[in-house]
Amino acid sequence: MNKCLKSINFKDKRILGILVILFISIIVSRFAPDAFVYILGLTYLFIILAVSWDIIVGYAGQINLGHTVFVGIGAYTTALLQVPSRFQGTFFEFLSEMPQIPIFASILFGGIAAGIVGFLIGVITLRLRGWYFALVTAILPFIFIETTIIESEIFGGEEGFSIGLERALAPTSLGKYYIALALMLVSVVIMFTIVNSRVGLKFKTVREDLNLAEAVGINTVNYKVLAFIISSFFAGITGAAIVHYRSTVSPGLYDIPLMLLIILAAVIGGLGTILGPIIGGLIVYLTRYWWLKGAISAFTVAGLPINDDIILYIILIALAILAPEGLWVKVRRFVSET
Amino acid sequence: MKILSKRKISRREYLKYAAAGVVVAAGAIGGYAAWQSTRKPLEKEEIIIGVLAPMATRQGSVQRDAAALAIEEINATGGILGVPIKMVVGDDKLDPDAAVSELRRLVTVENADVLTGGYSSGIMAATMEPMAELKTVFLADASSPAHPAKVAEDYEKYKYWFRITQNNGASFAFDMADMIDMLRGKGVPVDKIYIIRDEHVWADDVEKFFNPLLTERNVEVVKNVKIPRGYTEYEPLIIEAHDLGSQVILPIVALSGTGDVLAKHWATLKLPVLLAGHDLAALDLGFWEKTEGACNYYIFIADGGVVQTAPPTSVCTNFIENYTKKYGHPPEAHQGYGAYDAVYLYKMAVEEAAKAGAADPLDSDTIVKYLEKLATLESPVELTRNIAFYPPGDENKWDHDLAWGDKYVRNWISEWIDGKWYQIWPEDKANAELKLPPWFK
Amino acid sequence: MVQVALKFPIFFNFLIQWKLKMIELLMRILVYGATLSGIYALIASGFTLIFGVSRIMNFSHGAFFILGAYFGIALIHGIGLNPYLSIIISILIVGLLAAAMYKSIISPVREHEVMVIIVTLAFALIVEQVILLTFGEHGISFPSVIEGVVIVGTVLIPSMRLFVLAVAIIALIMLWTFIGKTRLGKEITAASQDAEAAMLMGLDVDRLLIVTVFISAILAALGGVLYAQVYAANPFMVLKSLIFAFAIVILGGLGSVKGSIIAAFIVGYILTAVIVLYGARWSEFVALFLIIAILVLRPSGLLGVKEQ
Repeated sequence: MNKCLKSINFKDKRILGILVILFISIIVSRFAPDAFVYILGLTYLFIILAVSWDIIVGYAGQINLGHTVFVGIGAYTTALLQVPSRFQGTFFEFLSEMPQIPIFASILFGGIAAGIVGFLIGVITLRLRGWYFALVTAILPFIFIETTIIESEIFGGEEGFSIGLERALAPTSLGKYYIALALMLVSVVIMFTIVNSRVGLKFKTVREDLNLAEAVGINTVNYKVLAFIISSFFAGITGAAIVHYRSTVSPGLYDIPLMLLIILAAVIGGLGTILGPIIGGLIVYLTRYWWLKGAISAFTVAGLPINDDIILYIILIALAILAPEGLWVKVRRFVSET
Repeated sequence: MKILSKRKISRREYLKYAAAGVVVAAGAIGGYAAWQSTRKPLEKEEIIIGVLAPMATRQGSVQRDAAALAIEEINATGGILGVPIKMVVGDDKLDPDAAVSELRRLVTVENADVLTGGYSSGIMAATMEPMAELKTVFLADASSPAHPAKVAEDYEKYKYWFRITQNNGASFAFDMADMIDMLRGKGVPVDKIYIIRDEHVWADDVEKFFNPLLTERNVEVVKNVKIPRGYTEYEPLIIEAHDLGSQVILPIVALSGTGDVLAKHWATLKLPVLLAGHDLAALDLGFWEKTEGACNYYIFIADGGVVQTAPPTSVCTNFIENYTKKYGHPPEAHQGYGAYDAVYLYKMAVEEAAKAGAADPLDSDTIVKYLEKLATLESPVELTRNIAFYPPGDENKWDHDLAWGDKYVRNWISEWIDGKWYQIWPEDKANAELKLPPWFK
Repeated sequence: MVQVALKFPIFFNFLIQWKLKMIELLMRILVYGATLSGIYALIASGFTLIFGVSRIMNFSHGAFFILGAYFGIALIHGIGLNPYLSIIISILIVGLLAAAMYKSIISPVREHEVMVIIVTLAFALIVEQVILLTFGEHGISFPSVIEGVVIVGTVLIPSMRLFVLAVAIIALIMLWTFIGKTRLGKEITAASQDAEAAMLMGLDVDRLLIVTVFISAILAALGGVLYAQVYAANPFMVLKSLIFAFAIVILGGLGSVKGSIIAAFIVGYILTAVIVLYGARWSEFVALFLIIAILVLRPSGLLGVKEQ
């Protein structure tokens, strides 16, 4: 078996892997209930978030705790482009007469807007090192959440607003599922390519040793900002896609629980790989939104103050303690020892 | 050495892909199994009512408990058309994402025939989309005028929505104007008011109707302060209200969550300004305890058309009694009345449809028709409150909204007096008289 | 000026009124701001203390803050304990809880910074959810230990605020004395400057860490109890207070307790000034925005040490 695998080219194995995933995904969508397909589609989108976060953290080495800012920006950009009537009666009234923009263009704009903000944030936080950077990025989502609440005529406040079923990615759950799957595959392949290119190599150098990188002549500032732009662009695209998937937008896309899920997915899967966050994302998102549901009703009936969030977090803590280097590393080590 | 490392790489890669495949397959199998176990064949052995609300809040859990009571009562008399009712519960967690997926789960996995629930207007707006897509009747709570407006704009798509638990938020303006009239009638001069309101759009909707009513009455709003959720710095506001000469501080709040702090600060400062308006926090049987009596003399309009000490109908009195007997305390929030009425109203609609010979009395389109027929302005249905829906084509775009008025449902004007919550207006339905705080001259 | 005043007596009168109003506004900002700042100083200094000694980012710090309030409320409403006793007992409970949490959850993952964040954040979210399920999402206020108002000039000040300010200041002074004057305090300072050297010198760094965690949690819990007395406790404070703790701590400079306290007063006053002068809805936004702006100019905070 091993000899057989050894002889297969690395690239071929990747393609094989993608085909396997595609095959399984299609089978699943044929037999699973509608509600599961819906969640699985969202899981694919979530995976893009985990992978894009890995670019900043795993590859460029900056602990960015404000990744959800880009998700939210992508989301609100597309939402407002789709429902420009929300600008009526405000300072931006001239925008409210915009013609209808096709869905995919709108999503692209979401990504671009997030990319621009990513650039700005990258530049602004340039001089911050280590924990200062982490904490400042942690604060950012709150500022954006505040804006959605303060300007609630435009952003819809705490509960957001809907963009209407007609502007969904597709009219059926199955359609949305396939588009989400396609979006994920395309994004992941692009990010994978970047990461394995010369650019990716430079990211890793910056991550490993900043001073060495500078000594070797790498413009660390540029690469840090570049990592930000790539990471934020894909997060923005995803945020926008999520809005077209659920047909609503809300500040929840900026919030901490989502950030924690992303961190989890990437860490459990293994930082600094692309495959890690994909698997981590699958596990984390499905666990959170599907598998825990049945377990919970037993507890709530018992009257205990427990719900599926709590169980998830407890599992999380347990996992973290058992495998502090990341689940994936542990599994890998275990496997290579057998 | 080289060969060894190559082998490691290939196994690792293989395992990664295999793991991914296993995870997805496991998920699919798990989901399929779950689906199979809950899916029932379509011949009706039971009618399924879904309750979708934020179960961690009392406004959500009361809906589940009240619906359960109604279902228990109906099943004891043979169910609907001889078929027993089963309840399934979804928790929207006040999160649009969770709400939408729970609604889909209740309808497509649990096969709910009808839904009741809701609380937050924003969540309701989000859930109206899957409701429309899956064509399921939803007897709902929440107060935003945006919901009936959707029905007005696209009847065929959104007609499944009816508001049963409380009035359109904009109607609070009518109740508060009535409250001002009442105060004046009892000798309290009200010509300057200080408004403290939620930042949220729901308060905008109320103000749209309220401002003209204030102008009519020559009442000046000396200041209008928007507060974010969780806001607690009320002292400066109360002092400012007094400085600016207002007689009344009028809260229009539901989301701030800090009504008890407002009451506490107001009672501590004891300035000659009344506290009268809409505050969801005050609409809580435990409010007296929470504020340690600071809410004494707090005047407020009560959502949902029931002041618990003065039930408007005999059905209501019985409901409160049975609820207390079953759960050990009266309904924790007014959403309980809505959920209870929703179950009974649905039963009535199904029975009417069957009596008229409808092919499938549980069909959503049929139910919509019969709900419209049953609960009309001319002859409201008497449940715990008098229920009527505005018909399609309503001039205010309040299609399928809960009818407002003394004859129907409105926010009764109530007050916390010496430990209990009383209804003080309109007079014929009141069980206490307005009492002014001793420090207010 | 005098000539203008003679010619326009109304104008002069207006100026005096305006000046009095300004003084009153300033007094109000001064007192209210001090209360808020004092509470924030308690949270922020606790956070910095832990970070200083161990380089650990304790994301559950906000949870300890609000648990102080909730345990206190539970003691009062559940067993009918009197408010003073419940304050003391609840902060002790939180301190012990923090120490236990450190030992069981943080210690095992200490070496992996991201794991520490995950673990402490997960803990914080668990606390938030449990509070939500047990107490609901609306705030609960702590029964006041002091009633009434005090009148200073024309300004009405609820006595509770003065009490809170006094307690906060006393606690901060005690903290300062502890760090500067006692042996344990000096050991903690030594460990935060160079943990390895401290170990070489025979200091039990691990034991110091647990003591630090205990003290830090007590400070946070005290802050929470005081906060709930003046305002109210609600589950969202778990994360909100954490974010403000972050903001204050990085403004003051990571690792500097003095910096945290100063920054707390700055932030507290900014918030209060914006609320009193401009409007409630803008206060948090402005404060956070300003903090980030300051950090852009001074990336290590006001009194911080440059991070490697």
